[in-house]
Amino acid sequence: MDNILEVKNLSKKYLEFELKNVNFNLPKGMIMGFIGENGAGKTTTIKAILDIIKDYSGEIKILNFDNKKETTKIQENVGVVLDDMFFPEILTPNDINTIMKDTYKNWDSNLYFKYIKDFSLPLKKQIKTLSKGMRKKLEIVTALSHHPKLLILDEPTSGLDPIARNEVISIFQDFIQNGECSIFFSSHITTDLEHIADYITFINNGEIVLSKTCDELLNEYGIVKCTEKEFDTLDKKDYVKYIKTKCEYDVLIENKKAFNTKYKIKTIDNITLEDLMLIMVKGVK
Amino acid sequence: MLGFIKKDIIMLKSNFKTLAILIVVYIIMAFKGIMDISFILPFISVMIMISTFSYDEFNKWNSYACTLPNGRKNVVKSKYISTLLMIIITTFIVGLASFIITYTQTQKVNYEEILSIILGTSFATILLESFMYPTIYKFGVEKARIGIFVSVFGIAIIGGLLSNIFNFGKVLELLKLLENYIIIIIPIIMVVMLYISYKISERINLNKEF
Repeated sequence: MDNILEVKNLSKKYLEFELKNVNFNLPKGMIMGFIGENGAGKTTTIKAILDIIKDYSGEIKILNFDNKKETTKIQENVGVVLDDMFFPEILTPNDINTIMKDTYKNWDSNLYFKYIKDFSLPLKKQIKTLSKGMRKKLEIVTALSHHPKLLILDEPTSGLDPIARNEVISIFQDFIQNGECSIFFSSHITTDLEHIADYITFINNGEIVLSKTCDELLNEYGIVKCTEKEFDTLDKKDYVKYIKTKCEYDVLIENKKAFNTKYKIKTIDNITLEDLMLIMVKGVK
Repeated sequence: MLGFIKKDIIMLKSNFKTLAILIVVYIIMAFKGIMDISFILPFISVMIMISTFSYDEFNKWNSYACTLPNGRKNVVKSKYISTLLMIIITTFIVGLASFIITYTQTQKVNYEEILSIILGTSFATILLESFMYPTIYKFGVEKARIGIFVSVFGIAIIGGLLSNIFNFGKVLELLKLLENYIIIIIPIIMVVMLYISYKISERINLNKEF
Protein backbone atom coordinates (compact mmCIF):
# COMPACT_ATOMS: atom_id res chain seq x y z
CA MET A 1 0.00 0.00 0.00
CA ASP A 2 1.35 3.46 -0.92
CA ASN A 3 1.90 5.91 1.89
CA ILE A 4 0.64 9.46 1.48
CA LEU A 5 2.52 10.63 4.59
CA GLU A 6 5.75 9.20 5.98
CA VAL A 7 7.41 10.51 9.13
CA LYS A 8 10.83 9.04 9.94
CA ASN A 9 12.88 9.78 13.04
CA LEU A 10 11.38 13.22 13.57
CA SER A 11 13.10 14.94 16.48
CA LYS A 12 12.96 18.47 17.76
CA LYS A 13 14.34 19.94 20.96
CA TYR A 14 12.94 22.83 22.96
CA LEU A 15 14.16 23.96 26.36
CA GLU A 16 11.55 22.02 28.28
CA PHE A 17 10.15 19.64 25.69
CA GLU A 18 11.46 17.23 23.12
CA LEU A 19 10.01 15.26 20.20
CA LYS A 20 11.92 11.99 20.20
CA ASN A 21 12.26 9.92 17.04
CA VAL A 22 8.67 10.16 15.91
CA ASN A 23 7.87 7.52 13.28
CA PHE A 24 4.62 6.64 11.53
CA ASN A 25 3.12 6.14 8.06
CA LEU A 26 -0.30 7.04 6.75
CA PRO A 27 -1.43 4.93 3.76
CA LYS A 28 -3.50 6.36 0.90
CA GLY A 29 -7.25 6.36 1.36
CA MET A 30 -7.04 6.13 5.16
CA ILE A 31 -7.80 8.34 8.14
CA MET A 32 -5.29 8.48 10.96
CA GLY A 33 -6.28 9.79 14.36
CA PHE A 34 -3.46 11.42 16.28
CA ILE A 35 -4.10 11.38 20.00
CA GLY A 36 -2.29 12.41 23.14
CA GLU A 37 -2.78 14.67 26.13
CA ASN A 38 -2.19 18.45 25.99
CA GLY A 39 1.48 19.20 25.53
CA ALA A 40 2.29 15.66 24.34
CA GLY A 41 3.65 16.93 21.02
CA LYS A 42 0.70 16.68 18.63
CA THR A 43 0.78 20.27 17.38
CA THR A 44 4.60 20.30 17.23
CA THR A 45 4.50 17.16 15.06
CA ILE A 46 1.87 18.73 12.79
CA LYS A 47 3.89 21.95 12.54
CA ALA A 48 7.00 19.96 11.60
CA ILE A 49 5.06 18.03 8.93
CA LEU A 50 3.93 21.38 7.50
CA ASP A 51 7.44 22.84 7.88
CA ILE A 52 6.11 25.70 10.01
CA ILE A 53 8.74 25.08 12.68
CA LYS A 54 12.44 24.92 11.93
CA ASP A 55 15.53 23.05 13.12
CA TYR A 56 13.98 19.63 13.42
CA SER A 57 15.74 16.51 12.29
CA GLY A 58 14.36 13.47 10.48
CA GLU A 59 12.65 12.90 7.18
CA ILE A 60 9.08 13.78 6.27
CA LYS A 61 7.52 12.84 2.96
CA ILE A 62 4.12 13.92 1.76
CA LEU A 63 2.88 12.38 -1.51
CA ASN A 64 6.49 11.22 -1.92
CA PHE A 65 7.77 14.81 -1.88
CA ASP A 66 10.31 15.91 0.70
CA ASN A 67 8.57 18.46 2.94
CA LYS A 68 11.61 20.78 3.06
CA LYS A 69 12.57 20.69 -0.62
CA GLU A 70 9.30 20.51 -2.52
CA THR A 71 7.08 22.58 -0.29
CA THR A 72 5.00 24.28 -2.99
CA LYS A 73 4.02 20.95 -4.60
CA ILE A 74 2.99 19.70 -1.18
CA GLN A 75 1.10 22.89 -0.28
CA GLU A 76 -0.95 22.70 -3.50
CA ASN A 77 -2.11 19.22 -2.46
CA VAL A 78 -2.64 19.58 1.27
CA GLY A 79 -5.56 21.17 3.09
CA VAL A 80 -4.89 22.42 6.59
CA VAL A 81 -6.86 23.31 9.70
CA LEU A 82 -4.67 24.57 12.51
CA ASP A 83 -5.67 25.41 16.04
CA ASP A 84 -6.18 29.22 16.27
CA MET A 85 -4.42 30.08 13.02
CA PHE A 86 -6.45 31.47 10.17
CA PHE A 87 -7.29 34.55 8.13
CA PRO A 88 -7.51 37.94 9.87
CA GLU A 89 -10.94 38.17 11.43
CA ILE A 90 -12.00 41.37 9.66
CA LEU A 91 -12.34 39.33 6.45
CA THR A 92 -15.54 37.59 5.36
CA PRO A 93 -16.08 34.09 3.87
CA ASN A 94 -16.64 35.85 0.53
CA ASP A 95 -13.23 37.57 0.84
CA ILE A 96 -11.61 34.20 1.50
CA ASN A 97 -12.88 32.95 -1.85
CA THR A 98 -11.52 36.09 -3.57
CA ILE A 99 -8.11 35.52 -1.99
CA MET A 100 -7.88 31.75 -2.37
CA LYS A 101 -8.83 31.63 -6.05
CA ASP A 102 -5.60 33.51 -6.71
CA THR A 103 -3.62 31.44 -4.23
CA TYR A 104 -4.34 27.79 -5.16
CA LYS A 105 -4.16 26.56 -8.75
CA ASN A 106 -7.02 24.13 -8.07
CA TRP A 107 -9.25 26.38 -5.99
CA ASP A 108 -12.88 25.46 -6.73
CA SER A 109 -15.18 28.42 -5.98
CA ASN A 110 -18.30 26.37 -6.77
CA LEU A 111 -17.29 23.70 -4.29
CA TYR A 112 -16.45 26.36 -1.69
CA PHE A 113 -19.83 28.06 -2.06
CA LYS A 114 -21.57 24.66 -1.98
CA TYR A 115 -19.94 23.83 1.36
CA ILE A 116 -20.72 27.33 2.66
CA LYS A 117 -24.38 26.74 1.78
CA ASP A 118 -24.39 23.18 3.20
CA PHE A 119 -22.99 24.44 6.51
CA SER A 120 -25.32 27.49 6.49
CA LEU A 121 -22.39 29.89 6.82
CA PRO A 122 -22.98 33.59 6.10
CA LEU A 123 -21.02 34.90 3.12
CA LYS A 124 -20.73 38.55 4.01
CA LYS A 125 -20.25 38.54 7.77
CA GLN A 126 -16.81 39.21 9.19
CA ILE A 127 -15.10 36.17 10.71
CA LYS A 128 -15.02 37.91 14.09
CA THR A 129 -18.83 37.88 14.24
CA LEU A 130 -19.06 34.12 13.68
CA SER A 131 -19.48 31.68 16.56
CA LYS A 132 -16.57 29.37 17.41
CA GLY A 133 -18.32 26.47 15.72
CA MET A 134 -19.07 28.44 12.54
CA ARG A 135 -15.49 29.64 12.39
CA LYS A 136 -14.23 26.07 12.68
CA LYS A 137 -16.59 25.00 9.90
CA LEU A 138 -15.27 27.84 7.73
CA GLU A 139 -11.70 26.66 8.35
CA ILE A 140 -12.66 23.13 7.31
CA VAL A 141 -14.50 24.37 4.20
CA THR A 142 -11.44 26.44 3.25
CA ALA A 143 -9.16 23.41 3.68
CA LEU A 144 -11.38 21.27 1.44
CA SER A 145 -12.02 23.59 -1.49
CA HIS A 146 -8.85 23.17 -3.55
CA HIS A 147 -9.29 19.40 -3.96
CA PRO A 148 -6.42 18.43 -1.67
CA LYS A 149 -5.14 14.87 -1.53
CA LEU A 150 -4.27 15.06 2.13
CA LEU A 151 -6.01 16.89 4.95
CA ILE A 152 -3.93 17.75 8.01
CA LEU A 153 -6.23 18.81 10.79
CA ASP A 154 -5.35 19.96 14.29
CA GLU A 155 -8.41 19.60 16.52
CA PRO A 156 -10.90 20.18 13.68
CA THR A 157 -13.98 19.17 15.67
CA SER A 158 -13.29 21.12 18.85
CA GLY A 159 -15.94 23.77 19.43
CA LEU A 160 -18.49 22.03 17.22
CA ASP A 161 -21.84 20.87 18.56
CA PRO A 162 -22.72 17.15 18.04
CA ILE A 163 -24.78 17.89 14.91
CA ALA A 164 -22.04 19.93 13.27
CA ARG A 165 -19.48 17.30 14.27
CA ASN A 166 -21.59 14.68 12.60
CA GLU A 167 -21.81 16.79 9.40
CA VAL A 168 -18.07 17.35 9.40
CA ILE A 169 -17.30 13.68 9.97
CA SER A 170 -19.54 12.62 7.11
CA ILE A 171 -17.71 15.12 4.85
CA PHE A 172 -14.40 13.57 5.93
CA GLN A 173 -15.76 10.12 5.09
CA ASP A 174 -16.84 11.32 1.63
CA PHE A 175 -13.43 12.88 1.15
CA ILE A 176 -11.57 9.57 1.41
CA GLN A 177 -14.11 7.60 -0.64
CA ASN A 178 -12.08 7.55 -3.88
CA GLY A 179 -9.23 5.76 -2.12
CA GLU A 180 -6.68 8.39 -3.16
CA CYS A 181 -7.17 10.94 -0.39
CA SER A 182 -6.23 10.67 3.28
CA ILE A 183 -6.73 12.55 6.53
CA PHE A 184 -4.31 13.08 9.40
CA PHE A 185 -6.41 14.27 12.27
CA SER A 186 -5.50 15.23 15.83
CA SER A 187 -8.33 15.30 18.32
CA HIS A 188 -9.21 15.19 21.98
CA ILE A 189 -12.68 13.98 21.12
CA THR A 190 -11.75 10.33 20.89
CA THR A 191 -15.30 9.16 20.15
CA ASP A 192 -15.08 10.97 16.79
CA LEU A 193 -11.94 9.02 16.00
CA GLU A 194 -13.52 5.71 17.00
CA HIS A 195 -16.18 6.41 14.35
CA ILE A 196 -13.94 7.31 11.45
CA ALA A 197 -10.24 6.56 12.04
CA ASP A 198 -8.60 3.60 10.32
CA TYR A 199 -5.36 4.11 12.23
CA ILE A 200 -4.58 5.53 15.65
CA THR A 201 -1.23 7.02 16.51
CA PHE A 202 -0.71 7.86 20.14
CA ILE A 203 1.94 10.32 21.28
CA ASN A 204 2.96 10.76 24.89
CA ASN A 205 5.64 13.08 26.21
CA GLY A 206 7.08 13.59 22.71
CA GLU A 207 7.28 9.87 21.90
CA ILE A 208 5.04 7.67 19.80
CA VAL A 209 3.80 4.97 22.13
CA LEU A 210 1.70 3.15 19.58
CA SER A 211 0.57 3.39 15.98
CA LYS A 212 -1.91 0.69 14.95
CA THR A 213 -5.13 0.17 13.06
CA CYS A 214 -8.18 1.25 15.02
CA ASP A 215 -9.74 -2.23 14.66
CA GLU A 216 -6.62 -3.87 16.04
CA LEU A 217 -6.69 -1.54 19.02
CA LEU A 218 -10.36 -1.82 19.82
CA ASN A 219 -10.61 -5.58 19.21
CA GLU A 220 -7.35 -6.82 20.68
CA TYR A 221 -6.65 -4.43 23.54
CA GLY A 222 -8.74 -4.71 26.69
CA ILE A 223 -9.00 -3.64 30.30
CA VAL A 224 -8.84 -6.31 32.95
CA LYS A 225 -10.71 -5.41 36.12
CA CYS A 226 -9.21 -7.36 38.98
CA THR A 227 -8.59 -7.44 42.72
CA GLU A 228 -5.19 -6.87 44.29
CA LYS A 229 -4.85 -10.63 44.85
CA GLU A 230 -5.58 -11.36 41.18
CA PHE A 231 -3.27 -8.56 40.08
CA ASP A 232 -0.39 -10.10 42.03
CA THR A 233 -0.69 -13.26 39.92
CA LEU A 234 -0.11 -11.33 36.67
CA ASP A 235 3.20 -11.51 34.85
CA LYS A 236 4.54 -8.01 34.00
CA LYS A 237 5.05 -9.13 30.39
CA ASP A 238 1.34 -9.75 29.99
CA TYR A 239 0.10 -6.22 30.52
CA VAL A 240 1.00 -2.76 29.26
CA LYS A 241 0.19 -0.54 32.26
CA TYR A 242 -2.25 -0.43 35.14
CA ILE A 243 -4.13 2.06 37.28
CA LYS A 244 -5.07 1.30 40.86
CA THR A 245 -8.54 2.63 41.67
CA LYS A 246 -10.24 2.66 45.11
CA CYS A 247 -11.36 -0.94 45.02
CA GLU A 248 -9.78 -2.57 41.99
CA TYR A 249 -6.99 -2.59 39.45
CA ASP A 250 -7.61 -1.53 35.82
CA VAL A 251 -5.00 -3.34 33.78
CA LEU A 252 -4.40 -2.56 30.11
CA ILE A 253 -3.62 -5.67 28.06
CA GLU A 254 -2.54 -5.94 24.43
CA ASN A 255 -4.09 -9.29 23.56
CA LYS A 256 -7.40 -10.32 25.04
CA LYS A 257 -7.31 -13.85 23.55
CA ALA A 258 -3.83 -14.68 24.81
CA PHE A 259 -4.70 -13.28 28.24
CA ASN A 260 -7.89 -15.34 28.39
CA THR A 261 -6.07 -18.58 27.71
CA LYS A 262 -3.38 -17.89 30.33
CA TYR A 263 -5.43 -16.43 33.22
CA LYS A 264 -8.74 -17.26 34.83
CA ILE A 265 -9.80 -13.60 35.33
CA LYS A 266 -13.01 -13.22 33.39
CA THR A 267 -13.74 -9.49 33.70
CA ILE A 268 -12.12 -8.10 30.56
CA ASP A 269 -13.78 -4.96 29.20
CA ASN A 270 -13.51 -3.74 25.66
CA ILE A 271 -11.39 -0.64 25.43
CA THR A 272 -12.25 2.87 24.30
CA LEU A 273 -9.63 5.32 23.06
CA GLU A 274 -10.30 7.43 26.13
CA ASP A 275 -9.50 4.47 28.45
CA LEU A 276 -6.40 3.77 26.43
CA MET A 277 -5.19 7.38 26.70
CA LEU A 278 -5.92 7.51 30.40
CA ILE A 279 -4.08 4.31 31.31
CA MET A 280 -1.17 5.01 28.97
CA VAL A 281 -0.67 8.47 30.46
CA LYS A 282 -1.58 7.96 34.11
CA GLY A 283 -0.84 4.27 34.49
CA VAL A 284 2.31 2.58 35.74
CA LYS A 285 4.08 -0.60 34.73
CA MET B 1 0.85 36.10 -4.63
CA LEU B 2 -2.01 38.04 -6.21
CA GLY B 3 -4.30 36.46 -3.63
CA PHE B 4 -2.18 37.81 -0.79
CA ILE B 5 -2.11 41.33 -2.30
CA LYS B 6 -5.89 41.17 -2.62
CA LYS B 7 -6.08 40.18 1.05
CA ASP B 8 -4.15 43.28 2.12
CA ILE B 9 -6.22 45.55 -0.10
CA ILE B 10 -9.49 44.05 1.18
CA MET B 11 -8.24 44.59 4.74
CA LEU B 12 -7.62 48.24 3.93
CA LYS B 13 -11.19 48.75 2.76
CA SER B 14 -12.34 49.85 6.19
CA ASN B 15 -9.62 52.51 6.21
CA PHE B 16 -10.41 53.89 2.77
CA LYS B 17 -13.07 56.21 4.24
CA THR B 18 -10.52 57.75 6.65
CA LEU B 19 -8.07 58.17 3.81
CA ALA B 20 -10.71 59.78 1.56
CA ILE B 21 -11.63 62.25 4.33
CA LEU B 22 -7.95 63.11 4.79
CA ILE B 23 -7.53 63.71 1.07
CA VAL B 24 -10.50 66.10 1.06
CA VAL B 25 -9.17 67.93 4.16
CA TYR B 26 -5.74 68.14 2.54
CA ILE B 27 -7.12 69.58 -0.67
CA ILE B 28 -9.26 72.16 1.17
CA MET B 29 -6.36 73.24 3.40
CA ALA B 30 -4.01 73.48 0.46
CA PHE B 31 -6.55 75.51 -1.57
CA LYS B 32 -7.09 77.91 1.32
CA GLY B 33 -3.34 78.09 1.86
CA ILE B 34 -3.78 77.21 5.55
CA MET B 35 -1.09 74.58 5.82
CA ASP B 36 0.81 72.22 3.55
CA ILE B 37 0.13 68.71 4.79
CA SER B 38 1.13 66.96 1.57
CA PHE B 39 3.64 64.72 3.32
CA ILE B 40 1.02 63.46 5.77
CA LEU B 41 -1.06 61.48 3.26
CA PRO B 42 1.54 58.95 2.07
CA PHE B 43 2.83 58.73 5.63
CA ILE B 44 -0.65 57.82 6.89
CA SER B 45 -1.06 55.28 4.10
CA VAL B 46 2.05 53.46 5.40
CA MET B 47 0.77 53.66 8.97
CA ILE B 48 -2.55 52.16 7.79
CA MET B 49 -0.61 49.34 6.11
CA ILE B 50 1.26 48.76 9.36
CA SER B 51 -2.10 48.39 11.11
CA THR B 52 -2.81 45.35 8.89
CA PHE B 53 0.16 43.64 10.56
CA SER B 54 -1.72 43.83 13.87
CA TYR B 55 -4.71 41.98 12.40
CA ASP B 56 -2.36 39.41 10.85
CA GLU B 57 -0.56 38.91 14.12
CA PHE B 58 -3.75 38.60 16.17
CA ASN B 59 -5.05 35.72 14.06
CA LYS B 60 -1.61 34.19 13.41
CA TRP B 61 -2.09 34.72 9.69
CA ASN B 62 1.64 34.49 8.99
CA SER B 63 1.77 30.96 10.42
CA TYR B 64 -1.33 29.92 8.47
CA ALA B 65 0.14 31.48 5.31
CA CYS B 66 3.13 29.12 5.67
CA THR B 67 0.79 26.27 4.73
CA LEU B 68 -0.41 27.98 1.51
CA PRO B 69 1.51 27.67 -1.78
CA ASN B 70 4.75 29.65 -1.55
CA GLY B 71 3.24 31.31 1.52
CA ARG B 72 6.40 32.15 3.45
CA LYS B 73 7.76 34.22 0.54
CA ASN B 74 4.50 35.61 -0.77
CA VAL B 75 3.33 36.91 2.57
CA VAL B 76 6.34 39.27 2.66
CA LYS B 77 6.36 40.12 -1.05
CA SER B 78 2.67 41.00 -1.07
CA LYS B 79 3.05 43.30 1.96
CA TYR B 80 5.84 45.26 0.25
CA ILE B 81 3.91 45.48 -3.01
CA SER B 82 0.65 46.54 -1.34
CA THR B 83 2.49 49.23 0.62
CA LEU B 84 4.28 50.43 -2.47
CA LEU B 85 0.94 50.65 -4.27
CA MET B 86 -0.48 52.73 -1.43
CA ILE B 87 2.55 55.03 -1.50
CA ILE B 88 2.37 55.44 -5.29
CA ILE B 89 -1.37 56.18 -5.25
CA THR B 90 -1.25 58.69 -2.38
CA THR B 91 1.89 60.38 -3.73
CA PHE B 92 0.24 60.63 -7.13
CA ILE B 93 -2.84 62.24 -5.53
CA VAL B 94 -0.62 64.70 -3.65
CA GLY B 95 1.36 65.52 -6.82
CA LEU B 96 -1.78 65.98 -8.90
CA ALA B 97 -3.44 68.13 -6.23
CA SER B 98 -0.34 70.34 -5.96
CA PHE B 99 -0.35 70.72 -9.73
CA ILE B 100 -4.02 71.72 -9.87
CA ILE B 101 -3.78 74.04 -6.86
CA THR B 102 -0.69 75.94 -8.02
CA TYR B 103 -2.12 76.20 -11.54
CA THR B 104 -5.54 77.51 -10.47
CA GLN B 105 -4.02 79.95 -8.00
CA THR B 106 -1.09 81.31 -10.00
CA GLN B 107 -1.82 80.21 -13.58
CA LYS B 108 1.71 78.83 -13.51
CA VAL B 109 3.04 75.43 -12.61
CA ASN B 110 6.11 75.11 -10.44
CA TYR B 111 7.31 71.72 -11.60
CA GLU B 112 10.36 71.84 -9.39
CA GLU B 113 8.25 72.26 -6.28
CA ILE B 114 5.86 69.47 -7.27
CA LEU B 115 8.78 67.19 -8.02
CA SER B 116 10.39 67.98 -4.68
CA ILE B 117 7.08 67.19 -2.91
CA ILE B 118 6.81 63.85 -4.74
CA LEU B 119 10.44 62.91 -4.15
CA GLY B 120 10.42 64.04 -0.54
CA THR B 121 7.22 62.27 0.47
CA SER B 122 8.03 59.04 -1.36
CA PHE B 123 11.56 59.01 0.08
CA ALA B 124 10.31 59.55 3.63
CA THR B 125 7.61 56.89 3.37
CA ILE B 126 9.89 54.32 1.72
CA LEU B 127 12.50 55.01 4.38
CA LEU B 128 9.84 54.36 7.02
CA GLU B 129 8.71 51.15 5.31
CA SER B 130 12.28 49.95 4.82
CA PHE B 131 13.08 50.33 8.51
CA MET B 132 9.77 49.24 9.94
CA TYR B 133 9.04 46.05 7.98
CA PRO B 134 12.13 43.98 8.81
CA THR B 135 11.73 45.09 12.46
CA ILE B 136 8.09 43.96 12.41
CA TYR B 137 8.98 40.59 10.87
CA LYS B 138 11.70 40.10 13.45
CA PHE B 139 10.07 41.35 16.65
CA GLY B 140 6.34 41.64 15.94
CA VAL B 141 4.32 44.79 15.38
CA GLU B 142 4.05 45.98 18.99
CA LYS B 143 7.76 45.77 19.78
CA ALA B 144 8.59 47.24 16.35
CA ARG B 145 6.46 50.32 17.07
CA ILE B 146 8.33 50.98 20.29
CA GLY B 147 11.62 50.21 18.57
CA ILE B 148 11.01 52.72 15.80
CA PHE B 149 10.18 55.52 18.25
CA VAL B 150 13.30 54.76 20.25
CA SER B 151 15.43 54.72 17.06
CA VAL B 152 14.02 58.01 15.73
CA PHE B 153 14.52 59.65 19.12
CA GLY B 154 18.03 58.16 19.36
CA ILE B 155 19.01 59.32 15.87
CA ALA B 156 17.76 62.85 16.64
CA ILE B 157 19.80 63.00 19.87
CA ILE B 158 22.94 61.55 18.28
CA GLY B 159 22.54 63.91 15.29
CA GLY B 160 22.16 66.87 17.63
CA LEU B 161 25.23 65.89 19.64
CA LEU B 162 27.33 65.30 16.52
CA SER B 163 26.34 68.64 15.00
CA ASN B 164 27.73 70.33 18.10
CA ILE B 165 31.02 68.46 17.82
CA PHE B 166 31.65 68.39 14.06
CA ASN B 167 31.37 70.93 11.31
CA PHE B 168 28.85 69.76 8.75
CA GLY B 169 29.68 72.53 6.30
CA LYS B 170 31.58 70.17 4.00
CA VAL B 171 28.71 67.69 3.90
CA LEU B 172 26.35 70.49 2.91
CA GLU B 173 28.77 71.57 0.19
CA LEU B 174 28.82 68.04 -1.16
CA LEU B 175 25.00 67.91 -1.12
CA LYS B 176 24.92 71.18 -3.09
CA LEU B 177 27.22 69.64 -5.69
CA LEU B 178 24.83 66.70 -6.02
CA GLU B 179 21.77 68.94 -6.27
CA ASN B 180 21.53 68.59 -10.04
CA TYR B 181 21.58 64.81 -9.84
CA ILE B 182 19.16 64.50 -6.95
CA ILE B 183 16.33 63.48 -9.28
CA ILE B 184 18.32 60.37 -10.21
CA ILE B 185 20.06 59.72 -6.90
CA ILE B 186 16.95 59.71 -4.68
CA PRO B 187 15.00 57.13 -6.73
CA ILE B 188 18.10 54.91 -6.88
CA ILE B 189 18.54 55.15 -3.11
CA MET B 190 14.84 54.35 -2.66
CA VAL B 191 14.99 51.24 -4.87
CA VAL B 192 18.19 49.98 -3.20
CA MET B 193 16.82 50.66 0.27
CA LEU B 194 13.53 48.91 -0.46
CA TYR B 195 15.24 45.93 -2.09
CA ILE B 196 17.63 45.42 0.85
CA SER B 197 14.78 45.82 3.32
CA TYR B 198 12.63 43.32 1.38
CA LYS B 199 15.43 40.75 1.24
CA ILE B 200 16.05 41.08 4.98
CA SER B 201 12.33 40.66 5.75
CA GLU B 202 12.08 37.69 3.40
CA ARG B 203 15.07 36.03 5.05
CA ILE B 204 13.65 36.62 8.52
CA ASN B 205 10.31 35.10 7.53
CA LEU B 206 11.86 32.14 5.70
CA ASN B 207 13.79 31.16 8.81
CA LYS B 208 11.12 32.05 11.33
CA GLU B 209 9.74 29.43 13.66
CA PHE B 210 6.00 29.83 14.14
